[in-house]
Amino acid sequence: MGIPLIKTFVLASRDYLHEWQMSFCFVIALAAVLGPMLVLFGLKFGIVGAMVDQLVEDPRNREIRPVSSGHYDHGWLDSVRSRPDVAFLVPRTRSIAATIELASERSPRNVRVELIPSAGGDPTLPPGQVPEGVTRIVLSESTAKKLQVGAGDTVDGSVARQFRNQRERVHLPLTVTAVAPAQAFSRDGAFVSVTLLEALEDFRDGRAVPRMGWAGDQATGVRSFPSFRLYARSIYDVAELANAFADLGVDVHTHAADIERVQRMNGNLTAIYWAIAVIGLFGFSFSLAANLWANVDRKRKELSVLRLVGFRTLDIAWFPIVQAFYTAVLGWTLAVGLYQAVAWIINKMMASELEQGQRVCWLLPDHYAIALALTCAAAVISAGLAGLRSARVEPSESLREL
Amino acid sequence: MYHLRDVVKTREAEGISFRLRVPSLQIAMGEKIALTGESGCGKSTMLDMLAFILKPSAIGAFRFRPEGDNEPLDIGAYWQAGKLDQLGNLRKRHLGYVIQTGGLLPYLTVRDNMNLCRNVLGLKRDGTVEHLAAELGIANHLNKLPDALSTGERQRVAIGRALAHKPSIVIADEPTASLDPYTAHKIMTHFIGLVDELNITVILASHAWGHIKKLGLRQLHHRTVRRANKNLTETMVSG
Repeated sequence: MGIPLIKTFVLASRDYLHEWQMSFCFVIALAAVLGPMLVLFGLKFGIVGAMVDQLVEDPRNREIRPVSSGHYDHGWLDSVRSRPDVAFLVPRTRSIAATIELASERSPRNVRVELIPSAGGDPTLPPGQVPEGVTRIVLSESTAKKLQVGAGDTVDGSVARQFRNQRERVHLPLTVTAVAPAQAFSRDGAFVSVTLLEALEDFRDGRAVPRMGWAGDQATGVRSFPSFRLYARSIYDVAELANAFADLGVDVHTHAADIERVQRMNGNLTAIYWAIAVIGLFGFSFSLAANLWANVDRKRKELSVLRLVGFRTLDIAWFPIVQAFYTAVLGWTLAVGLYQAVAWIINKMMASELEQGQRVCWLLPDHYAIALALTCAAAVISAGLAGLRSARVEPSESLREL
Repeated sequence: MYHLRDVVKTREAEGISFRLRVPSLQIAMGEKIALTGESGCGKSTMLDMLAFILKPSAIGAFRFRPEGDNEPLDIGAYWQAGKLDQLGNLRKRHLGYVIQTGGLLPYLTVRDNMNLCRNVLGLKRDGTVEHLAAELGIANHLNKLPDALSTGERQRVAIGRALAHKPSIVIADEPTASLDPYTAHKIMTHFIGLVDELNITVILASHAWGHIKKLGLRQLHHRTVRRANKNLTETMVSG
């Protein structure tokens, strides 16, 4: 018949509280090792994580651009678009034809802007900001500023051509559906539908655009495009897609080198972190085990009294385990508090270098939980082994020291 | 209650050996036994073996019959098989032990220290501890921690703890050794009075036979021989 666990639990708790100064020292000792490890991991996770996030989240890193002009028809574009590693693909018209002059009532100046082909799912534009048809466009931030317009405003777009020895200019009212963030396009520009781009190119080339009421020659042959805007599904698909284009005889420009550099840095930093972490983990485990072992040794005489009055081996082993559990939880709590304070200071210091909401040092709730589980496991195992060792010693050995 | 034959405990440290031999020892239920002798003659070793907290080096026979009607238990076999938990159960149910130094748990109040054995046995609080505390003259210290007590008061608490669960046997290892003669006599008289009242078997170690022989205890025979050339001290106990 063993002693109910609750009795051991109560006795261990009372002893832990009675020796609060010693208990506090153990908690501090644990936090002193665990706290810096959390900061180290927080920095690794924050810095490398931010770099990878930046790579992953910035669609520009997923962009694949043809180096030179080619002839890409709709069929070819559709076949590329159907690849699972392609997230977005729209054709580009000739860049000389992909401009327009914009004017607004609020601004005295006209602005000549580049036209960027776009469509639903454009990764450079926030969700919902999509140019549609031939009248709805998304302006770049600099253009919107110069024209002093915002979403919902209407601007006048005009293009001119020399047709049959006559200069012609057409105007079309364009509704600004949204203003794109600066990182989407930093120059003067407007995101427009491929339909509008085709219409403008046809007009410039002297072809008729019946849907816009623009006269001209009849179009002949199959339309082909000199270039395209393509974004890979993820940064990890860029290299393979570039190889696929090389196989198709299309030279492309990518950010693969940047991606590889950051990935290599991530790998190196991860290796360095793990080297430090493994050394730290060993140090932490040994320090914790030594502390708890020493504590159990110190308690041997009191444990001997419990043994004398009938506590069994397992009952005795529970005693230091309960106390080690307290030390682990309190030490972890203090370490998390220390980490939070240090992380706050680091993030505050680096705030000017970072974007809104970005942090250099941070951890996920999972990381806290893993740290707690590891700490408790190390503490309980160390204390349990020490407790069992102590419980197996004949009580008469330490009894008279109390 | 106890039957020991050819039980030996040998200790060695820094080239010096001590051997306690018990050729034959019988202790009957209700007896009051005194084991006297100078320091280092093996009194504590003998008591620890009788309390099942020290493993003998050799055992001819070591039997313990906690209740009158039951078959005697083979303590030698328990030690042989490493059944420390079973020995713990025997201590819990049948033994009270007064340690020379008190052996109080510093984080428990006097009340809780005295209640420790009762608590371990799951006995309800029925005023026994308070009654014992009153008998021992420590009733007003029940809510204090041991640190706040004098040595004599701590010894009384230790006696109270050993008696509170009404064991069939109490083993006391020089319970008054650290006290002045007047206090020692007073506490010892109280102690023997209480075990008489509760009809408990007592085995008591003391180096002062003078003041306990008046209390009517049976003295165990012992003879200590020192062999200087062999660095061996041997004590033989029988009775």
